[in-house]
Amino acid sequence: MYEDVLYYAVDYGLSQGAVYVEARYHRHEGSEVVVRNGAVVGAGMMSKEGIGVRVVYGGALVFSSTTDLTREGVRKAVDKALSLARSSKPLVKWVHTLSEERVGRSKYEVLVKEDFEDVHLEDKVKVLVGVWDELPKVLREAKLTSLFEEYIEVVEEKTLVSSDGAHVESKTPRVFYWANMVLAHPQRGTLQRFIELGGSGGYEVFRSWRIRDYLEEEARNIEPVLLKGVEPPREPVDVVVGSEVVGLIVHESAGHPMEADRIWGREAAQAGESYVKPEMIGRGRIGNQNATVIDDPTIPGSYGFYLYDDEGVPARPRYIYYKGIINEPLHNRWSAAVFGTNSNAAARAMDFASEPLVRMANTYLEPGDRTFEELIEDVELGIYVKSYMEWNIDDIRWGQRYVGLESYMIRRGELAEPVLYPALEFTTKSFYSSIAAKGKELRFYAATCGKGEPAQGVPVWAGGPDVRLSRMLVGVAPK
Amino acid sequence: MKEFVLELAKQSVERGVGLGFDDVVAKVVSNEKSMVKVANSQLTVAQSWRAVNLELYLTKDRKIVLVEAPVKGKEDVERVYSRIGDYIKSVSESEMYAPLPEPSGRPLEGLVDPKIIDSMYRSPELIAEVVSAAHGEGAEKAAGTLTLDVERKALATSTGAEFYEEGTSIEVYLRAFYKDSTGHWAYGSRILDMGALKEVGRRAAYYARLVTNVVDVPPRRYDVVLSPLVVGNLIELVASAASAFAVLAGFSMFMKFERGDVVASERFSLIDDPLQKSLPGSTGFDDEGVATSTKPIIKEGRFENLLHNSKTAAVMKTESTGNAGLIMPHPWNVVIPAGDFSEEEMIRDIKDGLLINNNWYTRLQNYVEGIFSTVTRDAVYRVSNGEVVGVVRRLRIADTLTNLLKNVVGLSKSVYDIRWWEVGTPSKVPYVLVRNVNITKPTV
Repeated sequence: MYEDVLYYAVDYGLSQGAVYVEARYHRHEGSEVVVRNGAVVGAGMMSKEGIGVRVVYGGALVFSSTTDLTREGVRKAVDKALSLARSSKPLVKWVHTLSEERVGRSKYEVLVKEDFEDVHLEDKVKVLVGVWDELPKVLREAKLTSLFEEYIEVVEEKTLVSSDGAHVESKTPRVFYWANMVLAHPQRGTLQRFIELGGSGGYEVFRSWRIRDYLEEEARNIEPVLLKGVEPPREPVDVVVGSEVVGLIVHESAGHPMEADRIWGREAAQAGESYVKPEMIGRGRIGNQNATVIDDPTIPGSYGFYLYDDEGVPARPRYIYYKGIINEPLHNRWSAAVFGTNSNAAARAMDFASEPLVRMANTYLEPGDRTFEELIEDVELGIYVKSYMEWNIDDIRWGQRYVGLESYMIRRGELAEPVLYPALEFTTKSFYSSIAAKGKELRFYAATCGKGEPAQGVPVWAGGPDVRLSRMLVGVAPK
Repeated sequence: MKEFVLELAKQSVERGVGLGFDDVVAKVVSNEKSMVKVANSQLTVAQSWRAVNLELYLTKDRKIVLVEAPVKGKEDVERVYSRIGDYIKSVSESEMYAPLPEPSGRPLEGLVDPKIIDSMYRSPELIAEVVSAAHGEGAEKAAGTLTLDVERKALATSTGAEFYEEGTSIEVYLRAFYKDSTGHWAYGSRILDMGALKEVGRRAAYYARLVTNVVDVPPRRYDVVLSPLVVGNLIELVASAASAFAVLAGFSMFMKFERGDVVASERFSLIDDPLQKSLPGSTGFDDEGVATSTKPIIKEGRFENLLHNSKTAAVMKTESTGNAGLIMPHPWNVVIPAGDFSEEEMIRDIKDGLLINNNWYTRLQNYVEGIFSTVTRDAVYRVSNGEVVGVVRRLRIADTLTNLLKNVVGLSKSVYDIRWWEVGTPSKVPYVLVRNVNITKPTV
């Protein structure tokens, strides 16, 4: 769409002395429904549409965007970019370039089984509202004091053209659902659980989640944690980490520190730097043979799905850590030029008003060969952390903390009583060096990953198998 | 531009009323914005944005629909309404519906600093001064951003509001590097004050270089001085939890408290102050056209006010506080009144503690209980018997918000205008001295 305007922007930028121009038409059309305690709060329709232009001029990299989709509108956007580039001269100490790539000329679309528009809004509302009907009844002693749900469907369309020949058109529908549950008990206080589900595709993806069953199972499982959860043991114990937590860990401690722009320092004042230094790439050891982490944008149905990135580079799986070695950072064409290598198609922009940054797509720990029973069968005393609420990691992606929500003691190879708020606090190296065994079932979890200034949230999946770690000290969150 | 956005807002309301909607609110906002980002003391990207967006609130038979879309003119308003079509008929009645209130807003004047408009495409030159100030103070390299914004906002409602406000803002933050240490500072205001900008560079470098010998500390409870950056980040959580919508949706520590309950030290007050004109959140009317006002959320340790729009007020049987958000009320500017400590006195008061310059990645285990942790970044200094004796590498505050608030024992005389990547709500806050804060770090 708007091809003539996009090509005009490229030609005009080049005519003004730019050495590279990229113009991206980017549109999001979506709607949402918000429900609280089984009653609709409201519905919304969202439209974002505009053109983002990125230019290399006078050694500076500049970006400008506009909602004015006329030739005049994009000409003004290019002029403003050039004006910023000119006044940037005192700070340009080396010339920004982009890596040479074989960029795509392609068109692709995520096909749906059930178009969002073909399902009546009333039917969608009925599903959301219906969760409240049965959910309080699955609780025995605790009360469900709050259930907040949001359903979001979005169709993202892009046309990207660049002065070095890229022309990529894409259409990706996505659906996202999240809920917040608060369980309360007069003596035991409250327990809170967030649930996020996301994928690319049509309404059939939402149906497949069976959210009513999903939430009922969650509520049934976490109630005993509130009612009977004990403190974790004070001595070091074996820890089994569920796939939900593993997905988060690899996202935070493999994906983020392996973003090449962070390694260089581009995000130093925002999301921070990386423990990874350029000389570690391809050589440094971060874990044992079990530590293979992959980021793959091409997984069908994934929330982070794409086939070409926002610089026109064809996507492929990236082996971030390979058998414990710091292997392949994520690159866009800017960071690839800095590091003297090629892009591996990690450039993503949240919307038309966002510059393409180095981003993850679908990041996961390679699964192993154990069943869950095999993972825990020889654990004499340990804990199993299945899900989490609180987490964070430092700005070089080294020291991190995950506080368990649904968690259990493991006694003599079997799951035992629930544990309240076990806190795992370890370093990146200690986690990847402690992977003693991995489950064979790979599961993915949806999230919105934030980065950049202005902050850009992009859809991702994070996943992995259940994992058994060797002994570690487990803390407890303050109450 | 004033006539353009105001006219679009009025036309949007007229069209909605004509189509038979019961309540219509149209907010049209035009933003012109530029930002420059540096890392390793050099430019990484310069950006500019220009956008005009329409936010439309429509109700029919107690059903609520919100629409957001970019607009260039009247034809786009028509396009938006044509998309709505029968959509609203399929929406269920809202449990939070309340009729729009009568307009009482009073647009604020004096929110524009012409220097910001004039400098819109010279932001690289401005941040060069900030970086230079950091180098002048001894920093080896620096990273940060500077953002300039001019916003023109028009609001029209079917109850007769026709308001317009124009305001500028600047946000700058810098992280200074010295050897293996870093320091950070930030500034957010409606005023381009070169002195304040250079102070960002100087303070960031000061914290990077205060002392350089690294010391280790065991995880346990310490007395801590939190800088305004940390205070801004944590208190934004508390102020957001005061949104009545957060209470209704299960996201608030105030779910457990009644008005008048003690939630903090008596030395501590927290104010939502939309009339503080120097802060970028200042405004004279909310998204429903109601007049904004300055109000305490916490007054001398006691929980005083939730933040309401007409809908949450109706659910909780009270009055709007002028904090709409068409669905979610929110704070405009967060202000913590100054105390009587100098910053040096705060350090001298600590026998066994820490001075924390900055934090990030604050996450909650439980919003209702306020159980959270946050990671320190940049300078953390070990303070022993009133002296800064070494720098400590990355720790974590893991505590509850109420513990933190109740253990406040001192606030600095100076307050700072803070806004940066981790402090989204404009804040005017002091340094805060807190006793017995739980500190953790990796055990393996």
